Amino acid sequence: VSMTSQLSQASCIRCRGGFSSDEHMVNSNGEIYHEDCFVCAQCFQKFPEGLFYEFEGVKYCEHDFHMLFAPCCGKCEEFIIGRVIKAMNNNWHPECFTCKLCNTPLADVGFVKNAGRSLCRPCHNREKALGLGKYVCNKCHSIIEEEPLRFKGDPYHPFHFNCDNCGKELTAEARELRGELYCLPCHDKQGIPICGACRRPIEERVVSAMGKHWHVEHFVCAQCEKPFLGQKHYEKNGHAYCELHYNQLFGDVCYHCNGVIDGDVVSALNKSWCVKHFQCTCCNTKLTLKNKFVEYDMKPVCRKCYEKFPLELKKRLKKAAESEKK
Amino acid sequence: MSKLKKIVEDSKNQKMKVIDLSDRGIQNLNEVPGLMMLEHVTHLTMSHNKLAAVPPSIGELVNLEMLNLFNNHIEELPTSLSGLMKLKILNLGMNRLSHLPRGFGSFAKLEMLDLSYNNLSENSLPSNFFFMTTLRTLYLADNDFETFPANINKLQDMQVLSLRDNDLISLPKEVGELLKLKELHIQGNRLTVLPPELGNLELTGPNNVFKADRNPWVAPILEQFMLGNSHVFGYIRSDTYKYLHGRHIHAEPAPPPKKDDKAKKACRKPLHNKNK
Repeated sequence: VSMTSQLSQASCIRCRGGFSSDEHMVNSNGEIYHEDCFVCAQCFQKFPEGLFYEFEGVKYCEHDFHMLFAPCCGKCEEFIIGRVIKAMNNNWHPECFTCKLCNTPLADVGFVKNAGRSLCRPCHNREKALGLGKYVCNKCHSIIEEEPLRFKGDPYHPFHFNCDNCGKELTAEARELRGELYCLPCHDKQGIPICGACRRPIEERVVSAMGKHWHVEHFVCAQCEKPFLGQKHYEKNGHAYCELHYNQLFGDVCYHCNGVIDGDVVSALNKSWCVKHFQCTCCNTKLTLKNKFVEYDMKPVCRKCYEKFPLELKKRLKKAAESEKK
Repeated sequence: MSKLKKIVEDSKNQKMKVIDLSDRGIQNLNEVPGLMMLEHVTHLTMSHNKLAAVPPSIGELVNLEMLNLFNNHIEELPTSLSGLMKLKILNLGMNRLSHLPRGFGSFAKLEMLDLSYNNLSENSLPSNFFFMTTLRTLYLADNDFETFPANINKLQDMQVLSLRDNDLISLPKEVGELLKLKELHIQGNRLTVLPPELGNLELTGPNNVFKADRNPWVAPILEQFMLGNSHVFGYIRSDTYKYLHGRHIHAEPAPPPKKDDKAKKACRKPLHNKNK
């Protein structure tokens, strides 16, 4: 059987017609078409660049295949290839599914249905608040039930802020000044320093200490209430003390120099010392806690000096120490 | 000798404020010529020597803040000593003092005074002793006090009072007025009771010292000592104790006998007998 006779028996799979000997044939996976029969089942046009899509044995060009079978975005009406967001009874490109009010993409943050619209949570709260005649806090995004505090143009719950001057929690009465919020009394006094003690404006000399301003006569020791009048003060737990009362109350006073210990403290024998003042009581040689020293009436004595003590005293001290242990 | 001279020369030339002349066998300050001319000196240590006396010229060292004469043979002090207006620390412990010079209490700034291990008693103190209101610590251990002056209440800055190993028969109730007192050493005396006023003080905290053993305490106090110092203080604050104490004092009991365990004290020996 010659090749020619085989060809004369072949027929186009679409129109069933035969082929004349000089006619072009299209072979697609063993199926033979006339060149004009190899077209999209929908638009009867040739497949652009030969690309076709097949569904249930029927071939379509890319466009018609999408038209017939691919999901369409509810916003841009283009086909969706890849991730499809199914929401609000429709299909969406992830970037096309956004808050109807602020256009924030919602695909990953979730949304709230509000009057047939998909909204982000802040917009939803704001809408809801507006409906109630209220504002939404720009910090916690919940509805402000009471009077809102406006700061840099936005409404907030006042309790999210403290007065920049006195530290009190703010109310809606608070005022904004130079980018900071102040309670009304502090706002009214801005420009003039306010005394940290009496809370009145300071017209005369201002003492600045502990992060506040003070009338000279109102910056006083928390214990004896005497003004420091320029003398050194010592701070502890947010209070200022004169040297004497700081010493009395907090005890880090050097046994030797009676001054407040600056820097490291040597603690021994129920007392404290400046590092440089911890010395042998008998010869004034400097000691450290690493040195071996002997306790003598709760004072440190170096070994060398202790060796020089009269034998009878050493004996009595030893005996006394033993009786004390009992 | 030349070494001592060198120390003085060096101090003079370099204006050194601290001089250490301890343990150099010095018997007389004449061995250290020029020492009393070092007006700039603030700290002078001369412990462990054999000085029998301090010359009046010590008063020339007007800038002295600390003077340490511990463990010498000193029997006499000059009245000029208390003229050292800047002196804050004076250590005269372990000497042979049986009296203090007239006017000894006129120090202007003295804060720490150590007179331990001498032969002092209530009769040795000059009348102005308790004028030293700047005193913070007073060490009188190993002396011969049988009573202690009530004037102690004048020393309101007192933080440490040591009366260990004396012959105290009683403690003045005025000690209870020393509100800054942090340490009280009264061990090794002849005490039988404590003044209830002592209960005014807080002597049982972590930075306090209250040493009171080796005394012939009456039984109820001794029982509290067995439990701990805080129990003693709780007890002497009670009305029960105030009543018992009142009765005890009223009965005027004979004082317990002296102990003789200090008879061998080195400072008892006269200088010429000392035999090393």
